[in-house]
Amino acid sequence: MTRILLSRMEAHPSDSHTLARYEATGGYAPLRKALGMAPEDIVAEVKAANLRGRGGASFPCGVKWGFLAPAEPRYLVINADESEPGTFKDRQLLERDPHQLLEGIIISSFALGVHHAFVYVRGEYPRPARRIQAAIDEAYAAGYLGADVAGSGYSLDVTVHLGGGAYICGEETALLNSLEGRRGEPRIKPPFPAVEGLYAKPTIVNNVETISNIPWIVEHGGAAYDAIGPEGSRGTKLFSLSGHVRKPGNYELVMGMSWREMIYDIGGGIRDGNALKAWIPGGASAPWFVEEHLDTPVTIDDIASNLSMIGSGAIVVMDETTCMVKAALRVVRFFSHESCGQCTPCREGTTWLQQVLTRLEAGDGRDIDLDLLLDISDNISPGLAWPPGMTTICPLGPSAVSPITSLAKYFKDEVVAHVHEGGCPLA
Amino acid sequence: MPSQPDLVTFTVDGKEAQVPAGTLLIEAVKAAGVHIPHFCYHPRMKPVGMCRMCLVQVEGPRGMMLGTSCTMPVTEGMVVHTDTDTVAKAQEGVLEFLLLNHPLDCPVCDRGGECPLQDQTMAAGPGESRFVEEKRHYPKPIPISDLVLLDRERCILCARCTRFSDEISGDPLIEFKDRGNATQVNTFPDEPFASYFSGNTVQICPVGALTATPYRFRARPWDLEAVESTCPHCSVGCRISVQASRNEALRFLGVDNGPVNQGWLCDKGRFGFEFLNSGDRLDTPLVRDEDGDLVEASWAEALDRAAAGLSAAAAEGPGRLAGLGGARSTNEEAYAFGRFVRETLGSNHLDAQLGDGLDPRVLAGITPRAAIDDLERARTVLVWAPDLKEELPVLYLRVRRAATELGANLVVVHPRATGLDPVATHTLRYRPGAGTEMLRRLADGSGDLAAVRAALDEGPVVAIIGRPGLGDDPRLAEAVMAFAAGLPDAAVLPVTRRSNVYGAADMGLAPTLLPGRVANDAPGRDAAGILEGLASGDLGGLVLLGSDPATDYVEPQQAAAALDAAGFTVAIDLFLTPSAAKADVVLPALGFAETEGTVTNLEGRVQKVNRLLPGPGSARPAHEILEDLARRMGGSIGAASAEALAAEIAGTAPAYAGITWEALSWGAGREGIVAPGPEGSQPLAVAPEDHAPPPAARDLVLHQARVLYDRGTLTQAGPSLAKLAKEPAAYVHPEDATRFGIKAGAAVRLTGSGGSAELPVVLDPSLVAGTVYVPLHLGAALGAGLEISMEAVT
Amino acid sequence: MGLFSPIAGFGVTLKQMFRKRVTAQYPKEKRVKPQRFHGRHVLNRYPDGMEKCIGCELCAGICPARCIYVRGKENPKDAPVSPGERYGFVYEINMLRCIFCAMCVEACPTEAITMTHLFEMSVTTRDDAIYTRSELLMSPEGDVPHPQPPSKLIDLDELKVADGWMRATAPAGRAAYEGVRGWTPTAGAGHRPPERGQSGDDGADGEEDA
Repeated sequence: MTRILLSRMEAHPSDSHTLARYEATGGYAPLRKALGMAPEDIVAEVKAANLRGRGGASFPCGVKWGFLAPAEPRYLVINADESEPGTFKDRQLLERDPHQLLEGIIISSFALGVHHAFVYVRGEYPRPARRIQAAIDEAYAAGYLGADVAGSGYSLDVTVHLGGGAYICGEETALLNSLEGRRGEPRIKPPFPAVEGLYAKPTIVNNVETISNIPWIVEHGGAAYDAIGPEGSRGTKLFSLSGHVRKPGNYELVMGMSWREMIYDIGGGIRDGNALKAWIPGGASAPWFVEEHLDTPVTIDDIASNLSMIGSGAIVVMDETTCMVKAALRVVRFFSHESCGQCTPCREGTTWLQQVLTRLEAGDGRDIDLDLLLDISDNISPGLAWPPGMTTICPLGPSAVSPITSLAKYFKDEVVAHVHEGGCPLA
Repeated sequence: MPSQPDLVTFTVDGKEAQVPAGTLLIEAVKAAGVHIPHFCYHPRMKPVGMCRMCLVQVEGPRGMMLGTSCTMPVTEGMVVHTDTDTVAKAQEGVLEFLLLNHPLDCPVCDRGGECPLQDQTMAAGPGESRFVEEKRHYPKPIPISDLVLLDRERCILCARCTRFSDEISGDPLIEFKDRGNATQVNTFPDEPFASYFSGNTVQICPVGALTATPYRFRARPWDLEAVESTCPHCSVGCRISVQASRNEALRFLGVDNGPVNQGWLCDKGRFGFEFLNSGDRLDTPLVRDEDGDLVEASWAEALDRAAAGLSAAAAEGPGRLAGLGGARSTNEEAYAFGRFVRETLGSNHLDAQLGDGLDPRVLAGITPRAAIDDLERARTVLVWAPDLKEELPVLYLRVRRAATELGANLVVVHPRATGLDPVATHTLRYRPGAGTEMLRRLADGSGDLAAVRAALDEGPVVAIIGRPGLGDDPRLAEAVMAFAAGLPDAAVLPVTRRSNVYGAADMGLAPTLLPGRVANDAPGRDAAGILEGLASGDLGGLVLLGSDPATDYVEPQQAAAALDAAGFTVAIDLFLTPSAAKADVVLPALGFAETEGTVTNLEGRVQKVNRLLPGPGSARPAHEILEDLARRMGGSIGAASAEALAAEIAGTAPAYAGITWEALSWGAGREGIVAPGPEGSQPLAVAPEDHAPPPAARDLVLHQARVLYDRGTLTQAGPSLAKLAKEPAAYVHPEDATRFGIKAGAAVRLTGSGGSAELPVVLDPSLVAGTVYVPLHLGAALGAGLEISMEAVT
Repeated sequence: MGLFSPIAGFGVTLKQMFRKRVTAQYPKEKRVKPQRFHGRHVLNRYPDGMEKCIGCELCAGICPARCIYVRGKENPKDAPVSPGERYGFVYEINMLRCIFCAMCVEACPTEAITMTHLFEMSVTTRDDAIYTRSELLMSPEGDVPHPQPPSKLIDLDELKVADGWMRATAPAGRAAYEGVRGWTPTAGAGHRPPERGQSGDDGADGEEDA
């Protein structure tokens, strides 16, 4: 089994988060190697690794780094605002191997010419925040941070910021607003953060998992990383498997297996021997998959070509006892609750969707309600296509549309049954 | 200074148009005659793209892209579609979303009938609602200040009000709270929306979420008659729309006059209209009877009495009569007043100011004179003047814009903290009386003032200069002007407050000036001289035109005594002011919005004021009153009509040549025309000299300056503003407080040159130690002298 | 032109002589008015006594004869006159100018102003022709004041009848509302009875009985 991210915590579950264990297992050697390299060579290695962003959009990390505008100062911000329902991978990385992330931050900052990096941790993650803060304190004491990083003369400070508990702050520009002390509302793009980000300076925002890969890439070379896994989905990926599977949990996997293997082998199958009904392949924002997708491969591009997304790797499996209207309501309610309120279609539309679904679930549905749901959705995400069109600034509103389109595509009968039977037929 | 931006060509709905590069799409499409509906976009504020109403499609490399036209700058060759099915569906969708939770109380909403949301719904909205759920509910309007009510149910969360308060006025007292569907605009706990500019948020609110208490339920938009006019409250001269129903002024709205107010008004201007409807307005002439009481009289009787009294005084010898006032009149009335005093009364004793302004020759003749709009291009702005936020609020907005949005250096010199300080690059403080020393150090630019001096050397410089307080010598302002005129590419904007002081000076209402900026070789007495002459008996009589020296003169008690001693006084006024109450004949005049004419603002911009209301009772235009008086005294001042006077002014005053009512009423002239106009010339050129007095060394000096809401006649005549005037207080530096052994809130007795008052103490660390600040016209009359004594009251 | 032509014209007269007379001997006898007859106005109240008028001035705005004058005012918080924020504290109709077109009735968003069957309202001075709130507004019990006392001419019961077609056409102007009775209950009258051709259904707008 290929291990890039979880090897240390699997081998040393009790103290993998300490500097002593980290250094004892080869930690900070990649940093020393990196400090001896030219920054542009590090960027070249990351480009060669074909590492794709792990935060949801799967944008190639090296390409993103290449967009960084030359102005000074420039910032690196680590997006640890892991709030997508069903995702719990970054938490493990932060809690169990914070130095791996920190080393990634230091190497990336060095490569990007950054002298101040920020780690924006989700408000509900006090323990991960404490762990990464403790690691930073250790690193300062050991000379890996501060005015003279590992004796190289390069200076770097890292600041941990705990968010206020808004999902929207996982959107990079909302995160930057929040970090600046403003309302967590996404900004209009362009300008993109790489040109005008934190404090209107060039900023790279990367996910925890993405940056945690950097030490390994520097140590083994980009080509070695590029040799792992199928094309377009290189390296390993952390999957957060949850829902009605027998063995939920975080799995570090090389992609390319089929969904059948993912759910039945890795996940151990469906609970109580029930039948599979549907699953969400990449977090609450992703359109659902059903049985027909079982034999399609789990890669970034294959999921996309089947009109969904790998997202942050959160797989939520639903068995036959699940009411799909209720499942859609749960997802929509989440997005309605988490809408920042800035754009009209998202603020009003997601709440309206929630109200209609609530009515359907309560048995007060009307025959026109499914068409109404789809038309509301169409006004939030014109064309109901994938990747979604948007009448909004950020993709949060269109994300709330995914369960509606999935409902209409695969479970229309169930909606009709809700209307005609005056409530959920499964209840 | 940026050169003319390049033009780019783009296509909208198949029509080609050209606009300057960088223009936002929503503005650019207007060039092609296309209108895009919008709610959150406002041309005077930064776009936020929140309402999503202005979605259009733009052809891009990846096909047609839907985006908000308010956030997209036009680029060369851009192809835009505003009429596709996708755009129509998206816009209708957004409109439906906006209407979901919008209450259907249009019939009782003050916005109903002039509401952008209503208009857009009527034009393109769905015929009926698909929304069967319960709407969002909040308590119906909550007062967020004394003047503004907030109805959160109606709010469509466009952020116009919050952005205005933050970006434009710099009073971020309202903000979004909560998020998502629960997002609402609100104030911070226990902090009302007490902004001097709160009324603007009511005007720019695209729905009826923000409404103004003075206008609440007073009329429906279709009842209103409106004329465009110029705000009568201060010398900025904001363009307004006067709106009335049933012959009663009901509201003023800001009109976007680019070079002046850019659509904004201060609350005093906006809600100050109430004085027009005051029950205290004079509506019939008053004459003093045998018992010494003022009693109502017919016009004929009152005019006969006035003419007889004035003739008798004039017969005593030349120069026995004097005239005060005209600074709140139109140019036409001021000109008529000048002719009346000079020709009919045969006197050169004439002053529009009351010792609280600047030398009228400087006002009328200073060059290079700045226009307000020069602030758009200035690299550095020097403000050594009254606190603009308190005295000329909309000029404050323009300076603030220059300092924030346009990135100009801002240097503020004032005895205490001003409204501009938060956005100033440099703030300098000095003790009143020690301004000369401050100026010398600033000109020298050594030590800690080097950075300030460096900023001032970055041109173009606009210097806004006036008397920061009552105690500042007017010659200090002239010295500052002399200094400022020498700065690179500098222009000077001299500041005084009353609305038409500049016009009055141009019309010759000054002892040293004749109409048309011509120096008077035989100067008469100024306000101080006139009052002195009345008290001593050197002068036999006085005509007041909208002037109240007993309140507004720098030493009110002196003025009151002079008026008591005056032989014969005629007051032409809107109200029975303390001064008018001492007159022998009081003649009721028509005021703002009741007469037609022109006014000149502080940059020399002549603008039209228009008539909409009949005025109270038998009140008459001032020029008609003066003409009738002149005729009874055996002459005429040729004031057949205001328009005839305007024509005479254009012929007499070279700078006003070509500035006709016609020119001011149509086309570009509605923005006003700056005199000297393009063809006009300027007979008087005054180069201010550095002739400031030596600094005073005193233990404790008094700084007195005006505040926006005071106890002035016009402010107090309207119920909405009257209650906003604060109680007077003494602002004391903490060091002085310690020295005198007093605490905040304790009472002190201040005794100045013209009076004494017992006031509560407020600690003000922004003062220079040794200075006590007392706001003017709040009830504490201490006189104009610098020296003051303070003692704790136990 | 024939020989009998001058006489043939009398044939018409002759035929009419034997027809039923249409002239009614008003005021001795009064004809039954059509149900939608436009008589004088009345300002209604809700059954709980609240005034329906909210002083919105839409009636004044629509009036083609410009005969209505309304002023709105903020409802006193402790003793509101009408539901909501605003009520009409001045309401005047100049009956000399009124052309009884009922556009005011159509424009009214709250069914505050309706028309009755009474049209006998002769006056001796022009001032008397201006009906103010005291002539227009019904009492909380549903009684409508009228300036003239009841007489052979003036049947005050006609004030209790109001035209009924307004609601049938008002909401969104939909054809679906044609023939459907819908009326907010009014003090003293409750729901108006359905007109001929209307169903007893309260209408699709779900107006509830207050």
